[in-house]
Amino acid sequence: MTTGLQITTPTDTTIVLARSFKAARRLVWEAMTSPDKMKRWMLPPPGLTLSVCEVEPRVGGTLKLAWKSADADPVMTLHGEWTEFAPHERMVHTETMTAGTGEIVVSLVETHEFTETGGVTHMRITQTYRSKEDRDGALAGGVDEGMEACYRELDAVVAL
Amino acid sequence: MVSGDRSPRLDLVFHALAHPARRAIVRQLSLGERNLTELASPLKMTFPAATKHVRVLEGAKLVRRRIVGREHLCRLQPEPLKEAMQWTGSFRAHWEARFAALDSVLDDMQVEEQAPAKRKAP
Repeated sequence: MTTGLQITTPTDTTIVLARSFKAARRLVWEAMTSPDKMKRWMLPPPGLTLSVCEVEPRVGGTLKLAWKSADADPVMTLHGEWTEFAPHERMVHTETMTAGTGEIVVSLVETHEFTETGGVTHMRITQTYRSKEDRDGALAGGVDEGMEACYRELDAVVAL
Repeated sequence: MVSGDRSPRLDLVFHALAHPARRAIVRQLSLGERNLTELASPLKMTFPAATKHVRVLEGAKLVRRRIVGREHLCRLQPEPLKEAMQWTGSFRAHWEARFAALDSVLDDMQVEEQAPAKRKAP
């Protein structure tokens, strides 16, 4: 069974993440909308910890996340608002990432869609960015941390 | 931040890797230099077909060919692969890690749901 993550870029400003989970749709929904569960799977970027996770899962409700490091608190905050909320099926929220300095890093809209077949939930997240530059920045973001691991993996298969 | 959004070089790399035979050739070459016959035979491919795929890989600078006598020796050039991984690697790694964590959260939730039922049993 394929549960693997599929990442596609159907348009210049979107990224689609598709993944299946071996669990009922209502459980996936709960895990993605309740702070105690979100804290456990929304892993922070390397070196950061999630310091704030407040969500009001309903239309007009807000979403607030913040990350801190040993040196700075917050390093990054995420503010958003739900514009659609159809339990177990579909939710849409805005998302603005702000650096600790107050500078807005990126704004996007995230659409989450869920279907269930035979006890397996198929999730599709569409991230819509304001420009191709923002979208490509998100795809490339954090590359420095990820690079080392990629290089090690590559070095193992390629005789340099 | 990686530039590469409009890189014709990266386009060539992704195009070259978008064929199973060419990925098989890259995998073989990751083990060392091979001649065209050695590349063609495990793929059950004719010599001209293998040559065609190697040309695409050469165009993307993933493979370098040198001719020694009558042999065409092919060697993998990993730099463009590194660039391609740099462009895609981290975003994917980040989300794969998150969703793997979500898998285990869901496992726990399923166990928790079943637990009270078990406790009710005499």
